[in-house]
This record gives sequence, structure tokens and C-alpha cells, in this order.
Amino acid sequence: MWLIKDAHVVDPAQEIDRTCDVLFDNTIIAIGTDLSDKDIPDDDSSLSIVNAAGKYLFPGLVDVHTHLREPGREDKEDIASGSRAAVRGGFTTILAMANTQPVIDNRGLVEFVLRQGERAKGARVLPVAAVTMGLQGNELVNMAELHKAGAVAFSDDGRGIQRAQTMLLALQYARLTGCPLISHCENESLAAGGSMRRGPRSARLGLAGIPASAESVMAARDVLLAQECGGKLHLAHLSTAAAVLALRWGKQQGIDVSGEVNPHHLIFCDDDIGLTDTSLKVNPPLPSAADRDVLLDALADGSIDMLATDHAPHAWEEKAQPFAEAPFGINAFETALAAVWTSLVKPGKLSVAQLVRAWSLNPARRFGVTGGSLRVGDPADIVLFDPDHAEVIGEGAWLSKSTNTPYWGQKMQGFPVAAWVGGELRADRSGMRIL
Amino acid sequence: MDLKPKPWQHKDLLGIEQLSAHDIAQIFQAAVSMKEILERPIKKLPTLRGKSVGMLFYEASTRTRVSFETAAKTLGADVGAFAVNTSSVSKGESLLDTAKTLDAMKFDLIVIRHASSGAAAFLADNLSAGVINAGDGQHEHPTQALLDAFTLCERFGPGAPSETVPGTGTKTDYTKTVPDKLLAGRKIVIVGDILHSRVARSNALCLRRLGADVTFVGPPTLLPPEMACWDVTISHDLDAVLQGADAVMALRLQLERQKSGLFPSVQEYAKLYGLTVGRLKQTCRETLLLHPGPMNRGVEIDSELADSFSSVVEEQVTNGVAVRMALIYLLIGGGFNS
Ligand SMILES: [Zn+2]
Repeated sequence: MWLIKDAHVVDPAQEIDRTCDVLFDNTIIAIGTDLSDKDIPDDDSSLSIVNAAGKYLFPGLVDVHTHLREPGREDKEDIASGSRAAVRGGFTTILAMANTQPVIDNRGLVEFVLRQGERAKGARVLPVAAVTMGLQGNELVNMAELHKAGAVAFSDDGRGIQRAQTMLLALQYARLTGCPLISHCENESLAAGGSMRRGPRSARLGLAGIPASAESVMAARDVLLAQECGGKLHLAHLSTAAAVLALRWGKQQGIDVSGEVNPHHLIFCDDDIGLTDTSLKVNPPLPSAADRDVLLDALADGSIDMLATDHAPHAWEEKAQPFAEAPFGINAFETALAAVWTSLVKPGKLSVAQLVRAWSLNPARRFGVTGGSLRVGDPADIVLFDPDHAEVIGEGAWLSKSTNTPYWGQKMQGFPVAAWVGGELRADRSGMRIL
Repeated sequence: MDLKPKPWQHKDLLGIEQLSAHDIAQIFQAAVSMKEILERPIKKLPTLRGKSVGMLFYEASTRTRVSFETAAKTLGADVGAFAVNTSSVSKGESLLDTAKTLDAMKFDLIVIRHASSGAAAFLADNLSAGVINAGDGQHEHPTQALLDAFTLCERFGPGAPSETVPGTGTKTDYTKTVPDKLLAGRKIVIVGDILHSRVARSNALCLRRLGADVTFVGPPTLLPPEMACWDVTISHDLDAVLQGADAVMALRLQLERQKSGLFPSVQEYAKLYGLTVGRLKQTCRETLLLHPGPMNRGVEIDSELADSFSSVVEEQVTNGVAVRMALIYLLIGGGFNS
């Protein structure tokens, strides 16, 4: 049993944003000011008391977009390393995308991901099943069966579903499960061969450009399809102003649509790309500076519902290639919170409550998964966050198997110092003072 | 104005982007001397004896490779050529492993041509030897731009023969010029597939550095608006921009672009953007015609014009060797990597 004293607790679900104490074992027992021994039900000798003055306490972050690479590319990451890196980064629940080798498109593999996640004792790992067999964009998976086996969403992420008819049927059929269908909005004929956002920067670098329309037309298409069939749609990694417009329009029309944005699309833009820095090569590509501002406004005003990392580990020798040949993706679990804190929260672009809403409450609600709030009786998925804790990335601990982050070797500030999953302490940086 | 030359301070030549107007003038100054050497009966120099230059060509280009080899050998350097699989780059050894091998072989300078933008910079990051970019993807082809600009400076620069008084030309002393005004007031038109052209990119950068006005011309699909990012004029109408052009550069059209739907037909392309003797008259002056070669006769340039153009081509070949000698000398003979 734990008693966290004098933390700044931020829990938008209960409109808590003040200094107080939190008592929990597997579940939250009490939140209040000046909790003491008398609030503890029985005389519990295993009580740990933490002085958390100057630190924040949030419900654990929920990341709806991650690539754990198992099965198939365990050299880059596996479910154990990924879920431990996640919890070290403050995430207590993560959704694992289906674009592994083989693709998560049958019951056995859904169960495999769940089981590996339970064994790892990191963040809770929940499988996203493919929409179509082998991500081929043709036949639908057995959605009802896979949902029953534990899939919490469906997505062909890694590829867009090119045929509109397939997308319409998938949205329609997924209604059986109540799960969101996550769309990776990418028109392959427009994006073909590109390696960064098309614009003056791609022109200058001589890199083939991916036009913003490659995302925008698919976002608009999918919102219209969801409207037509009443489907539950979630737009992954939004990166263009026009896609945000489609999302806003969809919400105004009452369509069941939500959207996420990745930290790197809010922090970097195409002008930051250099010809030999492949750590910024990501799909969708980094936006123009103007589109980045639109994305940030949309997150701040709630049009974009949530943050998600799109954690995409890659072996370093794959990234150590000329830009056009390197794979897309940014390794994000262990840097994302510090990056958002430093670039967005500290400068006042996003409040702490908005951060917690977008990275815990909203994703947990939208996907119907554990976490998102600290109500009494909820599982104790908790993050203790120290805004002053600083680290040089790569010096000391690093739990992901890959290092493809633009922050490698840089000093960052604002890290979780402890994280509990179901009341079990699963990540612990020095800095937590147990009394 | 202080024109005292600063010492050459580049390890590599990766693009025009990294060069100042002063750097370019310094290359030209050295190229003037190199060209004199090339005009002598005995051309071989001992300057770089004991130095080695490696040729790493992932794309076939006999002309550029031979030009670099001639330049290096004339300066007395040893030349090593690597047989790399040009048909399937991705299946061969990684560029990183190649860099490690080259490092172990203790080359002084590597000349690389590669289909990926940034490949030369990548190699330079992973190699202690100097690197010359002989063309990387759609990014840059700096030595082509330098030889084009050198040719233009010979024709239009401060030491060029007067257009009204023939026979007045002298060798330009580039240490006594204002580098960013070498081509001031000159109008250069570059026509063709700008989007996919590293030659267009490097030329725009180089010519703007030297003060020239640059106009890009091509169909909208091969010349999107973002290509104006080098402070150049964009046009889709060749006839409308030819007047007053001091030089016109025709880019080689990759015929397979038609199959990707970037333009409807070679015939229509030739009609709109092909250079002819008649069309060139619209400049109303004696216009220098440039082409990075090899030419598609009847497409970007008609046969009659191509034939009348051959004398400039020969001059370009000599200038190409001279400029490349100057660069190799500056990179491994004069200081930085020596
Ligand atoms: Zn995706």
C-alpha cells in the first residue's frame, strides 16, 4: 500500500488540480488533504509513504499508437522491452499496432500479444488487430472473434486502406464490436516514393516530397464514410491542416470521429530536416511550420482528442543510410513526455490539465481501456512526475532496444520518477523519496 | 574593398549550398591556372604524387567519371575505381560499410555519384577522407554547376572580351573581382525537368551566388511553385522569357517521366519547351547555349541547333577537367585534407 503525500494531483476526470495526498493499493483508496494512518483501512505494515512535494501525480498515460515489433522484428523491439520502456516513460496502458511479421490478424496472435504483455510486467499491452488479412486491404479479419480475444481496436496502420469500398465495409462491420477503426490516412499514389513533406524544404534538399493531400484526402474520405455508415472512426497521427479541418467538420456533423497527434508533429517541422539526420524521417512526414501551428491549436481546443507517440523503433544500421533509403519512424516512449513538457507545457502552449486530458483521460475513454482517472476504486495506474528531473538521453538507463530518437545525446527535463500499474511499482527513477 | 583571399577551408565539396561567392571565385582562380596547364603539350604535373583519389560511381556516367579521372591523373594522383553494382544499389553492401572499407584503404579523396539525395554528405560524415559530390539523387551536382558558371564567366565575366570590341579578352584575375557580382545583370534561363534535376538546383544556387538572374522554365508538373525557393523566377512559357537571355541551359529530359504521367507526350513537350535555332533568336542577342549532356536530339534540343552547338561542348569538356583539377587541388593539394 502506498501513500503519496503533498503531490500536485491533476485528474481532469474529477476536476482535481491541486496539492493533495493519494492512498492506493491495487486500486485507488482515497484522495484528500492530510491523509494519515487513520485513513488506512487495516493496520498495514507494508505501507510506503512518499514525500512528493514539488512533483505532479497523474493518472498513468495511455498511448493508443505504438509499434512493438513482436513477432518478427525482435531485433528492433519486443513486447517486453517495449512495454518496459513505455512504463519508464510514464505510460501505463499501450495499444500495440498489428503491422508485425506475421500481421496480427488471427485469434492466436491476438492472444499471443496479450500474453507476452502480461509476462513483461511493464505497461498494460492491448492488441490492435488488423482490419484486413495481412494488411492487404482486401478481406476483413474476423472482427467479432478478435475483439472477443482481446483486440481493443482495428487498424491496418503502417498502410492506408486504399480502396474506399473496403474502408466503408470495415467501418460498417466494426460496429459489431464497438471498437474504433484507426485510419492511417495515406493515399499511396500521392505519397509514392516520397520521404518528407512536399514543400520548399523538400525542393531545396532534393528529396522526393509527400504532398499534404496524401493525408488530407484520406482523412476527408474516411470522415465521409463514417458519416454514411455510422462507423466509429479514429484518425491516427494527424499532420496536415486540411485533415484537422475534416476532423472538426466531422465533429460538427455529429459523426463518431476522434483524432490523435504525435508529439514530433507538434515540436518539429519540415524546416528542421537535414539531409543526413534520418532520426527525423517519419511517416506521416513532419508538417510545414504553418500546419504544425494548426495541429497545436487543434489539440489545445480539443478538436484533436489525444496525444499518441507512434513509437516506432528501428535498428540503428537501418537509420544509418542516406535519407531516402532509411525507414520511417521515431523511437518515443522514453522521451515523449519530457519533449512535450519542455516544448509545449513549460512555454504555456498546453496546460498540465490539457496534457493529462489528451494523454490519459481521452484515450482511455475513447478506446474503453483501463486508466484515465484516479477515482476511488479505479485500478491504481499512476505516474509521479518530476518537472525538474533532467537526464541526458542515452547516458544511464534506456530500455527500448533501439535508439532512433532525435533527442539522443541531448539533455531533457521533466520525467516520470515513478509509475505504478495496478498499484505495482513498475518504473522507478532515482528522485522518489520514500519516507 | 578587402579582397585578400581567406584560405580554403572545406574538407569536402558536397554542394554549392556550402560555398560562398568568394569560395567559388577561388575555385575559378585555380581553374584558370589549370586550364593553362591543359593547353600545354605536356600536361602531367607532379603536384599530387602519392595522393590517391577513389571513384565511387553508383550511377553510370562515363563523361563525369572520365573528367574526374583525367583531372586527378593530370595532377599526378593515383586513381582507384570501384566496381559498384549500379543496377541494384539497395541489394549491395551498405554505404556505411563501404565508407568503412574506403577509410581502411586510406584514400585522400573520394568522388561519389549516387542515386540518393544526401549520399555524399552521408559518406563525408562517415569518412576521414575528403568527399566530392559528383551528383547525389535530385539534390546537387556542384561540379557541373561550377563548370557551367566558369564557362559563363569566361564569356560574360569581368575579363571577358567586349561584345562590341572583338579580341579584347584577357584572362580574368579572380582575386581582383567582386565575387558576388561576377555575373551581375546576366539573365540565365534554365529549361526542362527542373523538379528532378540536381543540375538545375546546383546551377540556380551557383548563379545566384554570382549575382545572375535565373529563370526556371518547364511544365507545371516538372516545375512546381516551391522550386522558386532559390530566389529565381518561375515560368511555364519559354517564348515569354527568352528575350534578353544571355544564356539558355536545356536540361536532359528523362523520357520515362512521360510514363509516370508527368507530361502527356514527348511531341507536346518538344513543341512547348524544345530549343530550336528559330526560338533562340527571340533572345535578341548572342546567347550561350548550355547542356549538361547527353542530349536527346529532337526533344529538348533540335538537331540543327545541336550541331551548331558542338564547339561549346568541347570547351565545356576542357573547362570541366580544369574546374575539377582546381577542386581536387584545393581539397587535397593546397591544404585541408593534406
Ligand atoms: Zn501509421
